[in-house]
Amino acid sequence: MLTESEMLRYSRHLLLEDVGELGQKDLKNGKVLIIGMGGLGSPAAMYLAGAGVGSLVLCDFDCLEVSNLQRQIGYQTGDIGGDKVELMKHRLEMINPEIRVRSINQEMAEDQLLMELMMVNLVLDCTDNMASRQMINAACVKAKVPLIVGAAIRLEGQLMFFDHRQADSACYHCLFPNSDEQALNCSNSGVLGPVVGTIGTMQALEAIKHLVGLPSGVKNKLKLFDGKTLDWQTFAVKKDSECSVCGKNR
Amino acid sequence: MNIFVNEQALEVAPDCNIEELLEVLDKPLQGTAVAVNQNILSRSLWGDYFLQEGDQISLFQAIAGG
Ligand SMILES: [Zn+2]
Repeated sequence: MLTESEMLRYSRHLLLEDVGELGQKDLKNGKVLIIGMGGLGSPAAMYLAGAGVGSLVLCDFDCLEVSNLQRQIGYQTGDIGGDKVELMKHRLEMINPEIRVRSINQEMAEDQLLMELMMVNLVLDCTDNMASRQMINAACVKAKVPLIVGAAIRLEGQLMFFDHRQADSACYHCLFPNSDEQALNCSNSGVLGPVVGTIGTMQALEAIKHLVGLPSGVKNKLKLFDGKTLDWQTFAVKKDSECSVCGKNR
Repeated sequence: MNIFVNEQALEVAPDCNIEELLEVLDKPLQGTAVAVNQNILSRSLWGDYFLQEGDQISLFQAIAGG
């Protein structure tokens, strides 16, 4: 049952045929782990908090720097030097006191991540480096937890959704098997705030749809966003039977 | 034989596979993803797929930023 204050707060969801009271309860029961509280994690976490996702777990180990503020919209200048997860936890609690927010202020090793995965329905990869992305993917494959991956650089974005509950799901490693290369990141290449914000917002949209049971537009797909033309390209990603993470040889 | 690579027309020799195409284009094999007609082609299949007339090839890099 939703309380009276929840009915008021979520009235614009309750008007939607695709969400309604049942969908709002699904959101309330949702448990989402968001890894990375930067340009992707800021809008993703704030939208999910606003939407009433009942339990959010935030993970990051960075302190806020002045160069983050150009794109990481959850923070303010006075926050510089603070721990991002604690700042964001406070921010989310100000947005919506009806939800529970927990912070993990460290880089998780795989065994700790696997423990955390037992307590959530969904993971958003909002990180900024390839090693973390591969580790999160491998853990989500093992734990059979759905994973929504976002990435952005310059004026380009990438969005994927792998539902690891399904045995035939592709995985991040099927798509990008070479993890040791120097992948492009925001500090070596630059990025426009609204580009990374668009991808983080799409991760939140897909997360809400997943929790209320709506079909996804990106499962086993890779979407590329071009911030210059505003065009989206869509590619189908099939499970690679030779994949060392999800394939037959794992 | 004519194909398209990232929407640019390109003439390639017949019996050219994806690995050979990347060599011709001087693209690194590491960290590149390849799609043929909007379907991602797994790294393990690059040697097995021979380009067909009119194929739309998309090449792009993994990006890690966030
Ligand atoms: Zn895989």
